[in-house]
Amino acid sequence: MARVLTLLVVIGLWPVPQPASPITVAAAVSLTDALNAAGEEYGQNGARKVYFNFAASNVLARQIVNGAPVDLFISADEEQMRVVEKAGLVAEGTRVDLLSNQLVVIVPDDRPRTFTSIRELLDPAFKRIALGDPAAVPAGVYAKRLLEKEGMWTAIEPRVVPAVSVRAALSAVESGAADAGIVYQSDALTARRAKVAWVVPVDRGPRIIYPAAVIRRSAVTADAKAFLAFLQSDAATRIFTRFGFAPAR
Amino acid sequence: MDAWHITWFTIVSATAATALMLPPGVAIAWILARYRFPGRSIVETIVSLPLVLPPVATGLILLLLLSRRGIIGRFLESLGIDVVFTWKAVVIAMATMGMPLLVRTARAGFEQVDQRYEHVAATLGARPARIFFTISLPLAAPSVIAGAVLAFARALGEFGATIMIAGSIPGVTRTLAVAIYSYTETGRDSSAFVLLGISAAIAFGALWIANKLSERRPA
Repeated sequence: MARVLTLLVVIGLWPVPQPASPITVAAAVSLTDALNAAGEEYGQNGARKVYFNFAASNVLARQIVNGAPVDLFISADEEQMRVVEKAGLVAEGTRVDLLSNQLVVIVPDDRPRTFTSIRELLDPAFKRIALGDPAAVPAGVYAKRLLEKEGMWTAIEPRVVPAVSVRAALSAVESGAADAGIVYQSDALTARRAKVAWVVPVDRGPRIIYPAAVIRRSAVTADAKAFLAFLQSDAATRIFTRFGFAPAR
Repeated sequence: MDAWHITWFTIVSATAATALMLPPGVAIAWILARYRFPGRSIVETIVSLPLVLPPVATGLILLLLLSRRGIIGRFLESLGIDVVFTWKAVVIAMATMGMPLLVRTARAGFEQVDQRYEHVAATLGARPARIFFTISLPLAAPSVIAGAVLAFARALGEFGATIMIAGSIPGVTRTLAVAIYSYTETGRDSSAFVLLGISAAIAFGALWIANKLSERRPA
């Protein structure tokens, strides 16, 4: 028995070569396709493997504040990055404005429409309008800001279906469960069963910025910084542009 | 925060869901307990499926069936009935998730009923329906009620399927479980804690009643 125990202890203590620990990136769900493509390209150059955790930015900010092991955070709005910053979790000098995006109104593709103005959303045919939860999900916060600016929020609010993320709002429209939705242009590009009815002009819509920062307690700070630098490179910018994002000015 | 509205809506929806599932649930339990027929195990499996399938997956199945583009949803739309993202979707999600508990508990009750009473009634000329309502159902009643209470308790806490087909629309489809999730995700912790307390109290009460009822079950 003692010998077996000794053996187990020896096996347990035997130094096992540890594979290089990967970089964990918590990123806004709207970045899913673009970042997966960027991460794949990054991995091809023999660099560290990158794991992504995609969710609504408010959910991610909360996870990070509550101690989730994250190395790099890419938020879809400044508000959620501020939450992480206030908790003292952003590694000094690493925060950058990475990308920008635009809002679009989408409708199910079996009932396509083309708006001449955002006011057409007031049409009673749109009984249910899917947004990210305007109480916190960045895409919903932006959409609410837009509708408020257009003086339409009080009319639209009773028809809003708040979704847990912008991608959930997109699926609600694609399944035909919602009659319209407001999502990012980049999400609309990935849609298979929804069509864009109206692209919110850049000068009329809210300014949409995706800030990124390395998280302070990361064990692989240097690698996270390197990946963030890659995301700002021309190669990565080409990928982001292909998926409907623009570099932040 | 409208905690009372949310609580009231959740209890009413769970009650409606229980009422909705009782007739088919008891019928299925009775059939499974008393009859052997081809496809019996398939019926048994389908009814129990929501117990083991991730609730979100059950919700997705319901969404695919009931949304405007789904098989059932298309038909309902032609009748002018809207289900997805309405209170009806909440009730359907709750009923689907509670059904296995009702059927399994009620079925166990029916199996415990001594079949000799039923045979005697039959030899005296009672028809199956009469036997069911005057002998089997009253004798199995404690189990049926316990099953209904369990299903009701399950319905109160339903989250995964509800968020898929009913969403989290304030004042329309927001139940206790969904509201706790939404409040936590949007950083309104104190509101979430109030609802947590209410849910715990209701669940405790429902389970206590269910246990009392099953203690009274005839041996």
